Amino acid sequence: MKNTLGRRNFIKLTASASGALVIGVHFQSCVTGKTPAKNFEFLPLVTIDTEGEVTLIAKNPEIGQGVKTSLPMILAEELGADWKKVKVIQGDFNEKYDEQWAGGSYAVILNWDLMRTAGAQVRFALITVASQKLKLPAAELISKNGSVVHQASGKSIPFGDLVKEAAQIPLPDEIEFKPSDSYTIVGQPIPQVDLDKMVSGKMEYGIDIKRPGMVYATVRKNPVFDGGISEFDSTVAKAMEGVIEVLELDNKKYGGRLIGPNSPNFVNGVAVIANSTWAAFKGAEKLKVVWNNTESRKENTDEIFDRFHAQLSNTSIEREDGNFALAKREAASTLEKVYEVPFLAHATMEPMNCTVDFGDEVCEVWAPTQNPEALQEGLIKLFDLKPEQIKIHLPRAGGAFGRRYYVDYAMDAAILSKEMGKPVKLTWTREEDTKHDWYRPGSVQKLTATLDKDGMVTGWQHILANASRKTSLGREGRPAGTEIDEYEFPAGFVPNLQFEYGHVLSDVPLGQWRAVAPGANAFPIQSFLDEMAFKNNMDPIDYFLKFIGPARMVPVVGEYEFDNARFIQVIEKVRKNSDWDTSLPEGQGRGFAARKMSGSFIAEVVTVDVLENNKVNILKVDVVVDCGIVVNPSGAKAQVEGAILEGFCAALYGEITFKDGATEQSNFHNYRWMRMNETPEIHIEFIKNDLPPRGLGEPPLPPAIPALTNAIFAATGKRIRKLPIVSNFDT
Amino acid sequence: MPSYALNINFERKEVIADSDTPLLWVLRDVLELTGTKYGCGQGLCGACTVLHNGNPIRSCSLTVESATKGEITTIEGISENSDHPIQMAWMEMDVPQCGYCQSGQIMSTYSLLSKNTNPSDEDINTALSGNICRCGTYGRVKKAVKLASNKMNK
Repeated sequence: MKNTLGRRNFIKLTASASGALVIGVHFQSCVTGKTPAKNFEFLPLVTIDTEGEVTLIAKNPEIGQGVKTSLPMILAEELGADWKKVKVIQGDFNEKYDEQWAGGSYAVILNWDLMRTAGAQVRFALITVASQKLKLPAAELISKNGSVVHQASGKSIPFGDLVKEAAQIPLPDEIEFKPSDSYTIVGQPIPQVDLDKMVSGKMEYGIDIKRPGMVYATVRKNPVFDGGISEFDSTVAKAMEGVIEVLELDNKKYGGRLIGPNSPNFVNGVAVIANSTWAAFKGAEKLKVVWNNTESRKENTDEIFDRFHAQLSNTSIEREDGNFALAKREAASTLEKVYEVPFLAHATMEPMNCTVDFGDEVCEVWAPTQNPEALQEGLIKLFDLKPEQIKIHLPRAGGAFGRRYYVDYAMDAAILSKEMGKPVKLTWTREEDTKHDWYRPGSVQKLTATLDKDGMVTGWQHILANASRKTSLGREGRPAGTEIDEYEFPAGFVPNLQFEYGHVLSDVPLGQWRAVAPGANAFPIQSFLDEMAFKNNMDPIDYFLKFIGPARMVPVVGEYEFDNARFIQVIEKVRKNSDWDTSLPEGQGRGFAARKMSGSFIAEVVTVDVLENNKVNILKVDVVVDCGIVVNPSGAKAQVEGAILEGFCAALYGEITFKDGATEQSNFHNYRWMRMNETPEIHIEFIKNDLPPRGLGEPPLPPAIPALTNAIFAATGKRIRKLPIVSNFDT
Repeated sequence: MPSYALNINFERKEVIADSDTPLLWVLRDVLELTGTKYGCGQGLCGACTVLHNGNPIRSCSLTVESATKGEITTIEGISENSDHPIQMAWMEMDVPQCGYCQSGQIMSTYSLLSKNTNPSDEDINTALSGNICRCGTYGRVKKAVKLASNKMNK
């Protein structure tokens, strides 16, 4: 495999004062493929010191997705490093890193070539130096376990003895990557970086930050969306021991509801600053606030869903292939079903928090965030700062799931630190966190299929109505954009296909949630296909395989194609692994669903036992994944396990509701998550191939939901068309 | 504000705090033992689990005043160098994802294994179902508990 990106574009070797080799990367040109402007800056990505210790910068935020381990593994593999001598350091935010965010299961996809190229170029330089020293041809040398080795003679030189001269070696324009069958790091189940800290309480999360002279803060926000403050009385709070100050947070003074097109600003409220978190929490409870909710629509969940239902007949066409209307007229039969998915909160284990030291010269921020670029943008906009006045550190985040894509809580903290003239650590209570989330939008989805005399699909219509993330709070985006995408399944598979979107406006603050649109849409789509199979008295997997047709490249949209051979392979394997074709005892059932997302193909079979009291007992999950090369099997399995369980939590219990314009749930007692005793065994198989690695943090989530509801149908004959599952049972 | 004498990780600590301050915030803000995490403040999630006389308790729901009676053990107190068999098992199984709930999971396990050296699946479920993990590490936690129990029985 040759790399086509010229090294002059983006990699530079230099020697540090101590003789260490510093590998600098110009990230923008690497990602865009364009030659950078003059005087561009190389950011250090790797250093190798004279002792051979390799230090790697992990540039992307670590939110539990394992990126701090997987990206360095890729570089270390090409370099031929000894993983035991690799140290990984979390990089601060630097806009020149480019694409320094966590989302869309993209970290490995975006960095695979960059990490390999950087590793391979350094390997080239080290081998060139070793070749001169050993007087042996470079072609006979390999790098392995932190040394350059001549295998025939057994001679070797450790990296540390090569680094001084390596900085002088001119790098080639093109470089060979290692063949994947020679990998010794990529493909190994490598335990995560920082494990020892995480099991001993020494890992520093955002909520653990302490700065000299720091004070503690919390907020009470108007529970009603888009509400303001009429007046507040802080006398009692201020008189409490430990309370230092009470400050109003009014977003109108700071640019209103939006920072940028996709970045909501903070919600209005009152902050209490104290000498401890507890004093701030107690002070906030004692505040007397008169909220101003005259402009709120005071929405209720039922009324919102009524509007969604009504909007099914007032839509825009988002994709049209063939002629669905004609297919409907000519159909032997049709099937039409309506499904509902609820609003969801993120409920990260670590509640929203941020520490800011807003100094005269520099605004220094410690933010558990997925999106430091938006944070920088917000600080620039709210405080008229220059980029060089902002320093953002990225502590490990205690979960994110899309919540930390928005930086409202960091804006709170920055305002408070500026006002106080001191470092401030802001910690939201769980209640504020639950009530002031950027919720995954609920939706109503109507699916209609036209069938021929054999029960196969000739036409497909998917109408989705909801309040869009893209237009929430006055954001300016294409409303259907994050709700029903033009590449939604089964686009490309059905000749007469129509996607329609019914746009509803709502005050509910909306945002991304793990697996975004597929997370909400796989449930209706794959339930509907399951319904069709039963309507035709066919086995659901047989029906699905017939529906997707033979192995071929399926054109979906533009250049985006769908490799159906890979899809079929995961489906056939999960059928076998799950013993799909064997019978189960009374009361048990299996459900199937499959999906492609972020480049990965996933097929899942869920086996359930539905007890007499309608309690759903998930017995096991079989999943087959084709995500290309598996960088770190341990981390990859963790992502699959986590995504499936998150899908189950959402399916079984997940529901946020609104009353008079405010969220009704507040904490884990009324926004429930699965517990250990509800957790099934999850059997995972990865397809082995040589294809570039694709995303994994989200793709296993969407099929988990319909596989579960289809299993409940198989077990009980009860079809779930509305989530959460608990809302379908009387218990 | 009154002063309290606490016995934490086999050390006596004098702290000044309001009597109703939850132990959690004394640990985190006063004693800088931040391994114990805030998750819900209502005893619902288990992230703040510590041992009180060997029993797992939610430190968000125990006042500093009540904590004076007896010995407190936090995640920082179970080993010097992250080498307690439970911690070793956790690392071997590569349990954490975000890691935030893991101190609580480990402390619940510590209490379980001190009373039951060979727990069944059901025993583990009973002991750990009060600890929420949003990332979904339950399967690995369960395997790590069993591995730890094997290590400790050797």
